[in-house]
Amino acid sequence: MSAEARRWLERIRALPLPERFRIMNVCGGHERAITMAGLRRLLPPGIELIPGPGCPVCVCPEEDVHQAVQLALREDVVLVAFGDMLRVPVNVPRRVPRSLEQARAAGADVRPVASPMEAAAVARAEAPRPVVFFAAGFETTMAPVAAMLAEGAPENLFVLLSGRLTWPAVAMLLESETPGFDALVAPGHVSTVMGPEEWRFVPERHGIPAAVAGFTPESLLAAFYSVLRQHLEARPFLDNCYAEVARPGGNPSARRLLAEVMEVCDAPWRGIGTLPRSGLRLRMAWRAHDARARFPAYEEEGRRRAGRMPPGCDCARVVLGRIYPDQCRLYGRACTPRRPIGPCMVSDEGACRIWWAGGVASRRSTRPGSRSARDAKTVPGARRRPTLAADARASRLPGLDGTKADE
Amino acid sequence: MCLGVPMQVLAVEGHTARCAARGVERDVSLFLLQHEPVGPGDWVMVHVGYAIQRMTEAEARSAWELHDEALAAGDGPTPGAADA
Repeated sequence: MSAEARRWLERIRALPLPERFRIMNVCGGHERAITMAGLRRLLPPGIELIPGPGCPVCVCPEEDVHQAVQLALREDVVLVAFGDMLRVPVNVPRRVPRSLEQARAAGADVRPVASPMEAAAVARAEAPRPVVFFAAGFETTMAPVAAMLAEGAPENLFVLLSGRLTWPAVAMLLESETPGFDALVAPGHVSTVMGPEEWRFVPERHGIPAAVAGFTPESLLAAFYSVLRQHLEARPFLDNCYAEVARPGGNPSARRLLAEVMEVCDAPWRGIGTLPRSGLRLRMAWRAHDARARFPAYEEEGRRRAGRMPPGCDCARVVLGRIYPDQCRLYGRACTPRRPIGPCMVSDEGACRIWWAGGVASRRSTRPGSRSARDAKTVPGARRRPTLAADARASRLPGLDGTKADE
Repeated sequence: MCLGVPMQVLAVEGHTARCAARGVERDVSLFLLQHEPVGPGDWVMVHVGYAIQRMTEAEARSAWELHDEALAAGDGPTPGAADA
């Protein structure tokens, strides 16, 4: 750990800390950095770091995955998708391919791509055969998809878009009766694209401290320090601890291209339901590249599958930060990276996958050589402390009342 | 997917930059950085093959330390391969 990170840690330790303080992050990159750097073990007791809705693969609805699998199986197309997406399972009857990977094993032409440019290159090479690009992602991925289309995509490329915006999920949590967190670390690269201002509603409308962070321990620790100070001084605002990259107004070219190619729509989130104005779809002008327009039969079929989660899968509650990954009944037992049941164990940005890679064992089993969740200081639901009771201001703030369990 | 990779620009041709990081070279699109000049020697944050922002060398090095730790742990993303 760098000297600067250690200094931030010392500053945090010197604060008159509340007994319990829950900081949510909404970015798989943040969760990975936190887990890999072991920040949970280094922070004083009572500071909890909660992974929230930060994994686009994890919130991609079942019906979209089902649609992609069926398209790959039944049409003469090449289906390309980001590698993470290939292993995401849907809940279908036995012997029916349940993921794009299984569709490939059953003979479908499914290929992983690492970039929208690569999807376009596959389409050029395969022309005139249709190539379907199943693109799930947040703003950081949608801007490159928009750029690829705006730059001129081949005629035989059709995008099956599953774009989601990050802030509406946080807004939904804050508007719920139990947000489950006391401060927010806002995502660094979403803010880089869209501008940090998008997150102002968190302190201004909800009185919750917030700070944009980068992906290094020092940037994250600086953000934790900032939100703690904001809380202690009862002065919530949006701080920016990634200012050189996440600049005011975001990336103007990316925002312009996003607005040109896509429009905001209501959209379903896996296991969560439909969130108003939380999705992105292609504008009518780009209909010639819309896989849903080119292959309309599969959308309705997919919609009938909405909400069919695998039995026992708690991914939705993990995504919302209602429980920690190792509190899921399947974590590390029935569900592992090798045999995933839910998307949180599949994606590099999924909290379960990240915790497993970080050595956190299931609460119900012992994995040799692994740390227990308690060692990793991640046992929130188990603690039911009255929090911040002395802080008169706290009672006015959602999530700070200390009386509501967060599950 | 949201895991960005800092890379250094070696050469620019149109909207494409030849970039390098940790000995791996990749073509990176500059289409999302049309509003600012990018040239050889600059560092950019790359997401799914697209540069989304310029950054300083110090930030790039700091970000790479974390990638190295993740890779050493054996489960990190494979930055050069996955994102270019």
